[in-house]
Amino acid sequence: MTHSLQLKLSAWFAVLVAGIAMIAGIVAFETALHEANELQDGQLKQVAALVTHRSLPVMELAALENVPGADRESKLIVQSLSERTPLALAINLPDGIQNATVEGMSWRIFVKTLDGDTRVVVGQPTLGRDEIARNSALATTMPLVILVPVLLLVLGFVVRRMFRPLTTLARDLDTRTDNDFSELSGAALPSEIVPFVVAINRLLARVAQSVALQRRFVADAAHELRSPVTALSLQAERLAASEMSSQARDRLGSLRRGLARTRALLDQLLTLARVQDQGNAQWMDVSMQRVFRQVLEELMPLAEAKRIDLGVVSEVDALVRVPEMDLRILIRNLVDNAVRYTPAGGRIDLAVRETGERVQVQLDDTGPGIPWDERERVFDPFYRVLGSDEEGSGLGLSIVGTIAARIGATVELGDALPHGLRVSVTFAAASQR
Amino acid sequence: MRVLLVEDDRMIGEEVEVALKDASYAVDWARDGQMALASIETQLYDVVLLDLGLPKKDGFDVLLNVRAAGHAVPVVVITARDAVEERIRGLDGGADDYVLKPFEMSELLARMRAVMRRRGGQASPVLTNGIVSLDPATREASIDGHAIRLSSREFSLLHALMIRPGAILSRTELEDRIYGWNEEVESNAVEFIIYSLRKKLGSEAIRNVRGVGWMVSKQR
Repeated sequence: MTHSLQLKLSAWFAVLVAGIAMIAGIVAFETALHEANELQDGQLKQVAALVTHRSLPVMELAALENVPGADRESKLIVQSLSERTPLALAINLPDGIQNATVEGMSWRIFVKTLDGDTRVVVGQPTLGRDEIARNSALATTMPLVILVPVLLLVLGFVVRRMFRPLTTLARDLDTRTDNDFSELSGAALPSEIVPFVVAINRLLARVAQSVALQRRFVADAAHELRSPVTALSLQAERLAASEMSSQARDRLGSLRRGLARTRALLDQLLTLARVQDQGNAQWMDVSMQRVFRQVLEELMPLAEAKRIDLGVVSEVDALVRVPEMDLRILIRNLVDNAVRYTPAGGRIDLAVRETGERVQVQLDDTGPGIPWDERERVFDPFYRVLGSDEEGSGLGLSIVGTIAARIGATVELGDALPHGLRVSVTFAAASQR
Repeated sequence: MRVLLVEDDRMIGEEVEVALKDASYAVDWARDGQMALASIETQLYDVVLLDLGLPKKDGFDVLLNVRAAGHAVPVVVITARDAVEERIRGLDGGADDYVLKPFEMSELLARMRAVMRRRGGQASPVLTNGIVSLDPATREASIDGHAIRLSSREFSLLHALMIRPGAILSRTELEDRIYGWNEEVESNAVEFIIYSLRKKLGSEAIRNVRGVGWMVSKQR
């Protein structure tokens, strides 16, 4: 069952107009009939007044004649009641106006007594009078009946027109980014819809607040954890300086690695919380080659430790318009991931390419890649590809995905040749200079 | 050497205090901002380790007050606030360096030494990344205590890389460092100088980063 407003309005309007048309028709019919009756009665009385003993035979004969150019239904009959021709009427009819039916035809007659035994009848068929009434009713109803489809068409047009701002609003709302909680504008909307928009705005504000609160909580929690983790790693560091058996030292080693991992996780959590927070990021033209260099400077020690050949294969730089810090975090997380999952002695190639209004960064590694059916899910926080024993935070690609969504970049996961993962990130190129 | 440790977290405070004592520092430990200010007023310290999140008086306010009062004591800020703006604010506010929580004690000690050295005007001019050392005064490099003589261009190039170990310099940047304004740049000169440096210092001394440039490894 559809709840189309247009349909309902149309149905109601149609019923209403039809009802009005019917009532108008009946009233017009009745009024016209009444008027026509009065007119006819008046005419009959007028003619009857002309009839005398002397004129009766002449008028009887004259009334039988057909008057050229006159309607059949306007034909007048003058006869004496007793003659029963042309109308066979009962002899005992009372004087005055009345209806009579002769041979299936309806007549309006006026009976008048001239003297003792001569009674005169003046009559006319009711056909004409009925036609006048019918025509009058029809003339009143017809415009209304024609009005119905026109009204429905106009109604449909108006409704669609009034709802256009609402459709636009819905589309805007639908294509918003996850972080956009800004108010809807009710300016172009009909005033009946405005309270609805106001309510949605209030809801948006509440959602924004609770999302902010939740993010704040994640950031605060990670932040608060820093102090105890700092204390723990300081203790472990001091412990390492004391005398202990080689077995204990082994255990301490794993403990410290665990602590290092916790610290890395905290950092990633804070990074995620920060990039989720809209903030007041400054958009500027950023050289991709420069970002590559900053990221490589940061991650080269990690790559060296695993003897991974990490480098850039493109020769031409490209400018993208993004918040610089976001771009750096994005590229760093991609490279960091690649270094983590690429086996020792592997190779990681970065490249940037500008095609028209787009800039594409491509990152190929010689790691195990990501199976097809998991490529969507790896962007979820804390999701790890099964079977990988790498101790990542599980947040790297989440951070990448969040930033990409925020700065309007797209991330695609594919296959590198001969094996490994290829990540392609497409940005909008810097404004044309 | 006297150190003022300003830290409200008991666990961290205890650890740092012990570690500092192990490193032969005399340590005073203030647990809030007011106590920190009072201590700095009455006692002369060689370095102050200042946590930013403090009860009673925020660490940042303590820093501003100390500097406003004209104390020149070196301050290393210890902070969990890692937003870039926060760091800049701290350094602008008069901090000499900052350490990010969670940190390793060895890193904190190294930064303290560096800060005090700078303040004492005895900053070591010898550049090192733990593998190679370079003395700009003698223009000599050394590995494991063995001095190695460098040509003037070799020195310029190595010096450029050693100023910030771990930083990657592009060919153009290196060419800028080894050639004067009016000198003509020979093609492949950078590769040639690096080749001869590697022969003298070992092949691992200068690393090539494909597509970007060259670097000397960061101290680890």
